[in-house]
Amino acid sequence: MLDLLFQFLINTGYYLADYRQLIMLFFGCVFVYLGTAKKYEPLLLVPIGFGILIGNVPFFKGFGIGIYEDNSVLHYLYFGVTTGLYPSIVFLGLGAMTDFSSLLARPKLMLLGAAAQIGIFFTLLGALAAGFMPREAASIAIIGGADGPTSIFLTAKLAPELIGPIAIAAYSYMALIPIIQPPIMKLLTTRHERLIRMPEPRDVSKKELIIFPVVALLLCCFLAPTALPLLGMLFLGNLLKECSVTDRLAKTASTSLIDIATILLGVTVGASTQGDVFLTPKSVGIFCLGAFAFSIATASGIIFAKIMNFFIKEKINPLLGASGVSAVPGSAREVHLMGLKEDPTNFLLMHAMACNSSGVIGSAIGAGVLWSFMVK
Amino acid sequence: MYGLEAISNHNGWAMAVVGISIVFSGLLVLSFAISQLHKFIDLWENRKAHLQNMKELLQTKVKEEKPDYNFSFSRDVEESVHLITKRMGEPFSLPRLIDISKKFGLATPHSTINELIKADLIIPDGKGYFYWNTKKTL
Repeated sequence: MLDLLFQFLINTGYYLADYRQLIMLFFGCVFVYLGTAKKYEPLLLVPIGFGILIGNVPFFKGFGIGIYEDNSVLHYLYFGVTTGLYPSIVFLGLGAMTDFSSLLARPKLMLLGAAAQIGIFFTLLGALAAGFMPREAASIAIIGGADGPTSIFLTAKLAPELIGPIAIAAYSYMALIPIIQPPIMKLLTTRHERLIRMPEPRDVSKKELIIFPVVALLLCCFLAPTALPLLGMLFLGNLLKECSVTDRLAKTASTSLIDIATILLGVTVGASTQGDVFLTPKSVGIFCLGAFAFSIATASGIIFAKIMNFFIKEKINPLLGASGVSAVPGSAREVHLMGLKEDPTNFLLMHAMACNSSGVIGSAIGAGVLWSFMVK
Repeated sequence: MYGLEAISNHNGWAMAVVGISIVFSGLLVLSFAISQLHKFIDLWENRKAHLQNMKELLQTKVKEEKPDYNFSFSRDVEESVHLITKRMGEPFSLPRLIDISKKFGLATPHSTINELIKADLIIPDGKGYFYWNTKKTL
């Protein structure tokens, strides 16, 4: 009887616990705390945080429990991450939720979305210089796009072993936008620039909104066909929303479907951060480079907006450049709040959303480009 | 391998430059396309009106190219100048025609001869001289 009890005890988490798992459990709790108490991107941080807890409960290897063990439930759920299925579904939902009218009203702002992607390619250089292999470097670089699903999608294709740290880094920095972006925005702009008012956008017709996803899909995906799984779904979702005859599908895509994908994506990405796999010097490097990528992306958007102001009559508020990163709607909200701090009657949200949505398109193209570079 | 050597060895510089250029050009083209979208839609929606305008514009242009002049000279003036050119012999030079017309007492010879040219009654031979167009009458 004692033998049986002893055998049971040595299979419990208390006995099998490793210090790395305890560290990860701590981080899991921090994520859940940040999501619930501080309300930092709760829809992402809560499932990811809880996923970290699930993934780091110690267990006896060979039971078919862990995410990296064949035939385990988590392994099957993780299939959606490694194949790029969940990111595509998230993009479908994102498309069904996105209103591109502000972008259509001021297409010029799309360039700010492009400028913010400079962060991706700067980080690519940084990661290569830090000793990462090209495929790993490309996966790390995409964190600069500040787009979780895109980061996961590209990493699943190029360096699946890094999905955990890259996804955690991408989502962490997206959640930390209120902390990372404002100092950079303040540093790179003068008060006078922050006070620039943007003119009211023109009214956009329904026909424009319907034609846009078709035109955008063809133009972007002819240029970078590898972005098709993401952009194809993004623009399909948007067409479902705008065409007015598929309201049921648009509603499903923008509610139930994206929610299911987000839950599964969050939990499995979190569970993939098993201490022994996750806590490596590489992960530390990825986190540092991710912060670098995010900062460079924010800065390059702002600087590009300032450069644009030299050449155009109707000046752009350079704060909008910071929303060129594709963290929707976090960065747009930060830009809006920063604008309001300087002038409580200056509403930048609509304009920032235009940059934000172009950032989503830009980062997906960037991911497609990086993927095509790595295909031999 | 680390640092600049690693970047060069893995073709990092080229990847970064080409990559950002592709992203920029993609969004630039898209931005241009959507900035013209409402114009195309307007063109399509009002295509009948636009076609009508186009037709009217073309017709006006044709009219402008071949205007119907209300010539100020009479049939007599035309015959007088024709007689002068016959006496001069063809082909004739315009300055000489103007001189002789003045001597014969033709009123405003410059504008009269100019109108005769516009009416294709006096036509150039391509070598700097002119002759009377016998195939055409007013």
